[in-house]
This record gives sequence, structure tokens and C-alpha cells, in this order.
Amino acid sequence: MDSDRRGQWLRGVLDICVLALLADRESYGYQLAQALDAAGVGPIQGGTLYPVLLRLQKTGLVCAQWREGNAGPARKYYRLTDDGYAALRTGGNAWLTFVQPVNDIVTKGVTR
Amino acid sequence: MNADDWLRTLTVELHHRRVAADAARHVVAEAATHLREGGGDPWVVFGPPQQYAGAVVESIGTAPGPRPGPVRLHAEGITKRYGRRTVLRDATLTVRAGQIAAVVGANGCGKSTFLRICAGLMSPDAGSVTVSGRLGYCPQAGGTADFLFADEHFVLIGAGQGVTRGAARRAGRGAARQLGWEAGGEVQARHLSGGTRQKLNLTMSTLNTPDVLLLDEPYQGFDQGTYVNFWDQLSRLRDTGTAIVVVTHLLNQLDRVDLVLDLTPAQVARGHAPVPQGGHR
Repeated sequence: MDSDRRGQWLRGVLDICVLALLADRESYGYQLAQALDAAGVGPIQGGTLYPVLLRLQKTGLVCAQWREGNAGPARKYYRLTDDGYAALRTGGNAWLTFVQPVNDIVTKGVTR
Repeated sequence: MNADDWLRTLTVELHHRRVAADAARHVVAEAATHLREGGGDPWVVFGPPQQYAGAVVESIGTAPGPRPGPVRLHAEGITKRYGRRTVLRDATLTVRAGQIAAVVGANGCGKSTFLRICAGLMSPDAGSVTVSGRLGYCPQAGGTADFLFADEHFVLIGAGQGVTRGAARRAGRGAARQLGWEAGGEVQARHLSGGTRQKLNLTMSTLNTPDVLLLDEPYQGFDQGTYVNFWDQLSRLRDTGTAIVVVTHLLNQLDRVDLVLDLTPAQVARGHAPVPQGGHR
């Protein structure tokens, strides 16, 4: 896939993906990157992911706490705040509303 | 550049961009954790440290810088002729406490002359300089005594201010350490490398805790690490309220200064806002 275009899509929706993953359970940067990759979104570099996390933290949608893991280094764990859950509902629904007609149009086009 | 170097450079870049110290520490620690867990080349995972620092600033902003204080140096209408050649024409610069001003321009456009006039080592043909407070001056070269150890230089400077030998030595060694230099050795200045001699020069100019610090391209012969330490040191001095004027021809540092005086002829020699250079090296 055109990696530049994928980058543009990601920029528009990565924050919502992160909020959605964190709605499940708290997590840290590296784990989030792995989860996104495993889900098929593709590799997300730290240089892309952490600025998003920092912005979410600054705007109060997530809160963060440094904690020692069971094994390994201390990690910065992120958790959704109430505002984060609300933003996820609004932003997530807006995304679904947007992507459904796009999918319909594209599907019709490519299966013609 | 390995991961540690990358993280160190990131730390410096965040500091220069005035990211709050606490936030910067977290950003660096988080990047270090990520690199430890995932491996990989930080230049690929995070990109160039300058660029990543820029992305961090876009996300979380910067700490409000200390507000510039009172005017420490005011040079107005400075004109200087050598014979029939006019090297400086009506140059004006005002620097406040807590500001760094860069003096830039092509070779021979009078940068060093301007600084020497500010330091009072030379008289202008027209114009005046007002300095408020103590003055420190670091020339481009010279200023060290060939047959003295670094420690003896510190003692000499200290004696001029009534500081005891021991205290002067400690202060000198401490300031040298900020530049990554252990100055305690028994090596005469003439046997030091050019870069180390400049570290000695620079260290001496800061020992009287000047209110106005004039630096004439003091970093000649510095290696990359020392060069980074140098700009770090300037930021620290600025944050403690020193007014700094630094002659430089390296335009890529202009995003780290508050004022620029361009002495290139054909331009109006007047301070203008620094031009961001996009973090390129």
C-alpha cells in the first residue's frame, strides 16, 4: 500500500484507535504499538505514537502513571479518563459515520 | 550515533526548545523504555532527535520562558572605520537579562570589531555602548597564558575579585566540567589542544558570573560533544539571567537565540527576529 497515504489516514484516526484500545484496559506505548500492529493496522513507530499519547494526556483524555512491570523496566501506563470515554464515544461514532458511506462507495467501485 | 547518544541529543533539544524540565524527563524516559523493549534504531523508530523534539513541542508545548529582564547591554549607532573602509555603520543592539543575541554576517563584516567595541577594548568612531553590571568577554583566540596551568588561570581570575585560591580553583574546575572538561591536570596552556584552550578561555569568561557575556566564536576546535555542551551551557546562563552576545557564522543555531544582529553590509544592521532553521545540522 502507498505508505504515504496510509500515514495520512493514520494521522486522522490514530488517536481514536488509541482511545479505543485503552477503553479495554490500561496500557503503555510499546504494548499499544504491538496491539495496533497485531490488529493489522501495521507498524506504528514511536515517533508517531508518543506525540499522540502526549497530546491525549495534555488534553486530559488519558492519564498516565509510571509503574514497575512484573519484569523489566518501569513503564508509563496510560488509562482513559471520563473525558476520554466521552471523546471516544463522540469521535468513534463520527469515524463510523464517516467511514461507512466511504466503504459503500469504494466497495461498489472495486467490485463492479 | 547509538541509542544513548540519541537520547542525550533529544534531552538537549527538548531543553533548548524550553520544554518543561519535568515533562522532558518523562519524554526521554519513555523513549528509552520503548527502545529497550522494542530495540531498533532510534533514528528509524523516533526519527532525528531534533524532529522528534519538535513533534513533542507540538503536542505538549513549552514552559513559559523566563521573561527578559532589564536592559544589560545597549549599543547604539556604532560606526567604525579602518582608514577609508567603513566596517560598521550605525549598528544597534539591545540585549536584556535572560536573552541570547547572535551577531552574524559574512567574514570581515565587523563582527569581532563590534564585540570588541561592546567590551570596551576599542573605541567606535560614532555611537555609544552602555553596559549595566559585570562584563565577561571571551576572545576568538588568545587570552590564555602559555606557561600557566588551567588551575593557575582560575586563581589569577579569582585574585582579581578577592576570591581565595581554593575557591577559585573549585569554581574554575566546576565551570570547566559543564563543558565536559576535567581541568585539574598539570598541563601548561601552551600544551593544550586548540579546542581545550578555548574551553579554558570560555571558562574564564564566566568565572566572575557576568551580567553581560560577550563571546567571539569561542567554540573553534570544539568537537561535537563539547559543542552541544557549549550551547547547553549558554541556555543555562540565559535562564539564570545573563545577557549573552555570541558571534557566530553557524546559522543553524539561530533557532536557539532570542535576537539576531546581521552585520552583512547592504542590509540594514538592525536586530530582527531569529529565523528558525528547521533543526538541521
